[in-house]
Amino acid sequence: MPLDFATTLASSAAFPWLSASILFPIAAALCIPFFPDQGDGKQVRWFALGVALITFLLTVGGYLNGYDPSNPDLQLVEKVSWLPDLGLAWSVGADGLSMPLILLTSFITALAVLAAWPVSFKPKLFYFLLLAMDGGQIAVFAVQDMLLFFLAWELELIPVYLLLAIWGGKKRQYAATKFILYTAGSSLFILLAGLAMAFFGGHVSFDYSELMAKGFPLKFQLLAYAGLLIAFGVKLPIVPLHTWLPDAHGEATAPVHMLLAGILLKMGGYALLRFNCQILPDAHAVFAPLLVVLGVVNIIYAALTSFAQRNLKRKIAYSSISHMGFVLIGIGSFSALGSSGAMLQMISHGLIGASLFFLVGATYDRTHTLQLDEMGGVGQKMRKMFALWTVCSLASLALPGMSGFVSELMVFVGFATDDAYTLPFRVAVDGLAAIGVILTPVYLLSMLREIFYGQEKAELVGHTNLVDAEPREIYIIGCLLVPIIGIGLYPRLMTDSYKASMEVLVARNEQAMKALTAPAGSGLIRQTPFQAPSLS
Amino acid sequence: MPSPAELAWLIPVLPLLGAALVGLGLISFNRTVNRLRKPVALLLISCVGAAAVLSYAVLAEQLAGAGSTEVLFNWASAGAFTLEMGFRVDALGAVMLALVTTIAVLVMVYSDGYMAHDKGYVRFFTYLALFSSSMLGLVISPNLLQIYVFWELVGMCSYLLVGFWYDRDGAANAAQKAFVVNRVGDFGLLLGILGLFWATGSFGFEDIGLRLQDAIASGTVSNGIAVLLCLLVFMGPMAKSAQFPLHVWLPDAMEGPTPISALIHAATMVAAGVFLVARLQPVYAPFPEVQVVVAVIGTITLFLGASIALTQMDLKKGLAYSTVSQLGYMMLAMGCGAPVAGMFHLVTHAFFKAMLFLGSGSVIHAMEEVVGHEPVLAQDMRLMGGLRKHMPITSSTFFIGCVAISGIPPLAGFWSKDEILGQAFGSFPVLWAAGFITAGMTAFYMFRLYFLTFEGSFRGNDKAIQAQLMAAAGKSSEEHGDDHGHAHAEHPHESGWQMAMPLAVLAVPSVLVGLLGVPWNSRFGYLLDPHEAAEVAEHFSWGEFLPLAGASVTISVVGISVAVLAYALRKIDLGTAVAARFPTINAFLANKWYLDAINDKLFVQGSRKLARSVLEVDSKVVDGVVNLTGLVTLGSGEGLKYFETGRAQFYALIVFGGVIALVVLFGALG
Repeated sequence: MPLDFATTLASSAAFPWLSASILFPIAAALCIPFFPDQGDGKQVRWFALGVALITFLLTVGGYLNGYDPSNPDLQLVEKVSWLPDLGLAWSVGADGLSMPLILLTSFITALAVLAAWPVSFKPKLFYFLLLAMDGGQIAVFAVQDMLLFFLAWELELIPVYLLLAIWGGKKRQYAATKFILYTAGSSLFILLAGLAMAFFGGHVSFDYSELMAKGFPLKFQLLAYAGLLIAFGVKLPIVPLHTWLPDAHGEATAPVHMLLAGILLKMGGYALLRFNCQILPDAHAVFAPLLVVLGVVNIIYAALTSFAQRNLKRKIAYSSISHMGFVLIGIGSFSALGSSGAMLQMISHGLIGASLFFLVGATYDRTHTLQLDEMGGVGQKMRKMFALWTVCSLASLALPGMSGFVSELMVFVGFATDDAYTLPFRVAVDGLAAIGVILTPVYLLSMLREIFYGQEKAELVGHTNLVDAEPREIYIIGCLLVPIIGIGLYPRLMTDSYKASMEVLVARNEQAMKALTAPAGSGLIRQTPFQAPSLS
Repeated sequence: MPSPAELAWLIPVLPLLGAALVGLGLISFNRTVNRLRKPVALLLISCVGAAAVLSYAVLAEQLAGAGSTEVLFNWASAGAFTLEMGFRVDALGAVMLALVTTIAVLVMVYSDGYMAHDKGYVRFFTYLALFSSSMLGLVISPNLLQIYVFWELVGMCSYLLVGFWYDRDGAANAAQKAFVVNRVGDFGLLLGILGLFWATGSFGFEDIGLRLQDAIASGTVSNGIAVLLCLLVFMGPMAKSAQFPLHVWLPDAMEGPTPISALIHAATMVAAGVFLVARLQPVYAPFPEVQVVVAVIGTITLFLGASIALTQMDLKKGLAYSTVSQLGYMMLAMGCGAPVAGMFHLVTHAFFKAMLFLGSGSVIHAMEEVVGHEPVLAQDMRLMGGLRKHMPITSSTFFIGCVAISGIPPLAGFWSKDEILGQAFGSFPVLWAAGFITAGMTAFYMFRLYFLTFEGSFRGNDKAIQAQLMAAAGKSSEEHGDDHGHAHAEHPHESGWQMAMPLAVLAVPSVLVGLLGVPWNSRFGYLLDPHEAAEVAEHFSWGEFLPLAGASVTISVVGISVAVLAYALRKIDLGTAVAARFPTINAFLANKWYLDAINDKLFVQGSRKLARSVLEVDSKVVDGVVNLTGLVTLGSGEGLKYFETGRAQFYALIVFGGVIALVVLFGALG
């Protein structure tokens, strides 16, 4: 098989930004075993940080030089024929669905490397896995070929599994096993659906654009959609497929946490948009109300479980699930505003979730406990930590001026004005989702209250060394807060980067929805016959 | 040269810049910035001061007859929708700008004295500037969406400031309660805003009003739904302006430092709800059902607040319930379709209630010298008494405040409250009666506060009462043994100039500002609504005004007289005469209508129980199913054990290898 990268790349004249940002961190990771290091990680971490930063700059470079946000089509395309008989190609590219998440990935990974600064147990392997994940995750968002997507999706599981199983907490083996069983089991559905789609019709192809053009019949679409929904529902996660997440999060270390919450969950949301919405629009038109209902369940169910949780990590883990509910509602809405809100919620939660999980790790380093009952009054010794926690919690409960508010508001407004659904259904969904607006501060502020407020617990203070936040920690949170507040003040900073693609996608879905004859739940949930927007 | 109105966006931005600068300093150079107390205070006071100057320029422009200015920009958009933000300056906004900045500056000066010995001095000033910024942003918001944004931000500042002394359990609980109760209101507000946007496609106040009527006329929206949406929006003001039954957070919020109680929980933030209802008049006015609900809620609130205030022994809590009651009056005015009267009461009340709160702070500050830093002791009137001799400025300004709120002419409270009662008399006579009786109660409880605090003999050194109070609060006397270390004086002293000066300054408008709104020539009315003011002035007759005003003054005088007899001359003992004879009523009032208890049982415990059972389901049922199927598929746990030995990466390798094999296979076949 001829793998003639050089000629193809040379002919495309432009610098291969995406391939570089995928392959560079992986190649650099492969050099780590040969890197001279005393074994305490003090040298290799600088190398890893440098690689992560260069990768971040590569993605930014791609965004600035080869990406036009007003163009809804695929850009930065690089295609190298790999197995022409199979239609398999090294095919990467970015449109509005990919680009923001690629930037998010390289950004969060760079900060995760910085967050991993104190790691001294097998540091070489740790940084190797972080960098391998960096490339793997960018690949998940950038590849334009279903088989490559599956490879990247699977490839990224191994580092996460090892990061959990080697550096995790007491129950790390259980958590890691559960994670791998869940995700690997679900990826079988991806493989099956992917193969079925590729082999459908006479022409075998894994390329997204060719899959889109295949025009699958509705029954086929429904089957493939259901399979993919289960697969991506595990990742997002959708209740009741979520139980791996609290365990995995409960055992992971801070940097792994940041990657899990910041990027891994977004793979589920991205894949739903890319495959379920974009490639299977007719099935999406049928399934959309289900997504919306599942989203509402996610919001309320996970908020309640989070409220009752006594373990800090698990509490934040459940809060992540609750926030992903808005992504589902946004994806299920047939409005550009709602879907844009879903996308923004993914980015926003990526930033906020990463910051909260980082703080959990930093706090655990000091208190040596995650049980809320054993904490209390910590704020008197750790004032800066208290301030950082407060800001990030407020961001998470969707305080205006920060990104979470904008994304949730866009989903709310988008769904309220979505003429595809009947008024009672819209009222019920927005009303129930708004209960989340009450529940979120209940569990987050109770959490702050139990950690930081009140009198110091003598036992805790006596047995631990509660030093305040150090500059590195403040810097990491600061880096995350800049985009959180920036998007909160002026959301177009982010939304403009994917607006064009999202509008095309939603318009297509709306077409498919209107073409649907006698869908399930018409009259009760859906507007029948479809009415054009009357006002505004 | 841009006009003041065009520069109005600077008014919230200036304090924000100051707060951001100091906040960044606090997080990066904590020790250094914490030591720069006076420079930081000076910087932030000048930021708010500059905003105040600009606000006065804007107000002057409005007084000269400038119209409204609105500037908008596209904040977020997708598809056909755009969400706009910007600012809007009109008469109503200009009045609020001037009011908020004035009181903010005075409270900041006062705080320099009040917080002088607090280790969180710099943090306190940062929060104050942040709050001022958010409140000013709210005032100049051009649409409901932006109001919602700043509405939440002032709520956040309130949360931070109520919980300022975060080592106190009371403060921590109160802060959380304030935020959550306000979120309940915001729940309705958000849904209402969404609904109105759905119905009208706009967030602007006038647009919504007009288009909602069009939509009803054309039949796309039914009258009932429109009313429902208006009431949902009203839930926001109910929480923020402490209206029954969402008022429960405000008295607890007194756990915050007293300057905060004056600025946020008396003068500005709690008035935001009233302000929003005034802004929404174009939407609300065509719906009599909505107006009735607003008026009735206002009336319940004003009566409830005053009745609970009758029995309070905590000076600040007494003032807090008084605030609840006065906010009820403002809401009643809104419900009577008299926003100008309501806004006028908002302004007069802001001055005299801020002064009263700052006065109570001055008293507490002085009491702490005697009884130590224990709120249970320093705020209880049973330990006060006779403070007039030691604190002349505080006592005389407090007295002026009491007269003003009681509605004795020509002080400020008389004119504004009388206008509300006059409007209520015309619209809802029953509600007027409740407001009228409450006016008497107001005079009584305010003078009760005054006499218990400032007259008689000083009781602060009575150890028996102290021990009794501590026991009642469930705290042991030893627990605050260290605090007694701070108690170094035999009797209290007048506060320093930083605290006395704002009191004296606020006394001036408390006396005089009412004269701007005399019914026969209301300058205030002309500014906000020239048409209505001209009409009122034209139809004004002494024959109508005097009997109503006379009645109001009479019932106030009756209230004051009872207070004089009971607490100054000690001729009647209300404890035995009333409380002992009607123990149920007394207990009902002392327990604040049992609302806190109901709230705790129903919502707090209820939600906890629900959450616990959901978690139970999650870990036992949902996860249980998963684990069980895991076992079954892997052959009664043998497989799981295999994976637990740490070789599961083989699985991934198998999958990976499988795919590669597949690829190769196809390649070979092809």
